[in-house]
Amino acid sequence: MRTTLPLVITFIVGMIMLGEAFIPHWRYRVISENMFEWGLILAAAAFLLGLINLVQVNLPKVLRRETDWGYKAVMLVALVATLIVGFAGGADRLNNGEAYKWVFDFVFIPLNATMFALLAFYIASAAFRAFRARNIEATVLLVAAIVVMIGRVPIGEALSERLPTLVNWLMEVPNTAARRAIFVGAALGAIATGIRIILGIERSHLGGD
Amino acid sequence: MYRWFVRFQNMDRRWIFLGMAIAILLPMLSPSSASFSIDRPVRDIYEKVESLPPGSTVYISADFDPGSRPELEPFYRAVLHQLFGRDIKVVAGTLWASAPPLVLPILQEVAESHGKVYGTDWCFLGFKDGKELAIKAIGENIPKTFPTDFYQTPIEELPVAAGFKQLKDFNLLILVSAGFPGIKAYVLQVQGQYDLKMVGATTAVSGPDYIPYYKAGQLLGLSAGMPGSAQYEKLVFLDAGTCSGFEKTFLNSESCVRAGHTWVKRPPKVMPERLLGIEALSVLNLGHLFIVGLIILGNLAFFVTRPKGVE
Repeated sequence: MRTTLPLVITFIVGMIMLGEAFIPHWRYRVISENMFEWGLILAAAAFLLGLINLVQVNLPKVLRRETDWGYKAVMLVALVATLIVGFAGGADRLNNGEAYKWVFDFVFIPLNATMFALLAFYIASAAFRAFRARNIEATVLLVAAIVVMIGRVPIGEALSERLPTLVNWLMEVPNTAARRAIFVGAALGAIATGIRIILGIERSHLGGD
Repeated sequence: MYRWFVRFQNMDRRWIFLGMAIAILLPMLSPSSASFSIDRPVRDIYEKVESLPPGSTVYISADFDPGSRPELEPFYRAVLHQLFGRDIKVVAGTLWASAPPLVLPILQEVAESHGKVYGTDWCFLGFKDGKELAIKAIGENIPKTFPTDFYQTPIEELPVAAGFKQLKDFNLLILVSAGFPGIKAYVLQVQGQYDLKMVGATTAVSGPDYIPYYKAGQLLGLSAGMPGSAQYEKLVFLDAGTCSGFEKTFLNSESCVRAGHTWVKRPPKVMPERLLGIEALSVLNLGHLFIVGLIILGNLAFFVTRPKGVE
């Protein structure tokens, strides 16, 4: 029963969602709309589950003073503080002067932007070390990368008016051809996996084999 | 020389970090302007918005975070100025939890600069979790997915959003997306099923992923990264105008001049103090040059030193 019931639910929900794309009848739309609503409620519940999980995993480590417990403590304090100021602010939390807005503007934005900005430095270093014309394939990749990097910025256009045209060709022809092949391959794989899950052949999502 | 190349190949990466920092900081301290042309996919977004009659309503999904803000904020601001400047109404929402504090203040600022009223000319529905499921849900039934706006006002009480039951009821969908869930999820989940008119702006790294959708007509326009945003700013704030004798037929400045007519510039209703995308292009210029220079010198060192077994 513990295996059969989830498989039956998966089959019914899977078949309804499959039909949703093809059956425009209003009665069917009512069913699918309800399904979407249930899904959204589950997604919101997952947020709460994530929150509980985060505390469950990290709080004991802080209490036991395990390795890096200080970082985990900072994370938990930040989590609780943000929650409190968020709830306290209510619908006005994004107004200037509100604590939640301050936390977002002066803590979250600089930290998040810093993490992303560091990429510029690591990409420069990685490009210098890894981009070597060791064989024909690597050379083609190297030349294409240089052309795109220079052609996408104004200096490329200043060097040659044909450079942006070449970049657009690279993007629209070889890039598109390769990506379409990947998309079609991935879509076929997704269809096959979807059918296996709906029919109960693939059961790994139930925690089994 | 040989020893120099060996040392160059094995240099401490902190020198690269220092060089990159200089390449970024120098143009910031003394910005320079550079001319650049407009790519067709970016112009297509502009022309699509220009073709909407005043009073139309568009849905904007603003799905980005502080990390992708520098690339997408200039586009987001420019397209909002264009929309409000043409008296087009805006309903906005987001699928990213970290987006509301970022996208709402910009929306408020631009709307206020054009004298637009919340609820009548624009509204913000807020964040909805569920990723692709949320997209399917707003594709099917907006009031059920967003019963209230960000401020908990029932959606039926907002004249701008009342009457819009599904995404297909909007004249245009504008997706400002830094990743998942974003443009790809919208294309896969709702574009084909509801035959939606959609344009998108994304980060430079995601741009190549979405070109097949643009080429297939699933996206009617596409702006990628900082260059795309800068081009859009140029279209909205610097190049906007009409072709004399062709007021009712849209011709862009280049094709107008090429056809032997005169391009009459139309100043934007509100001109921002700074055009962030265009300013950032000089940073991008030097940053890209620095990386390309490193790659070329690195390969030169690789070939000079390789015969003696140094890799």
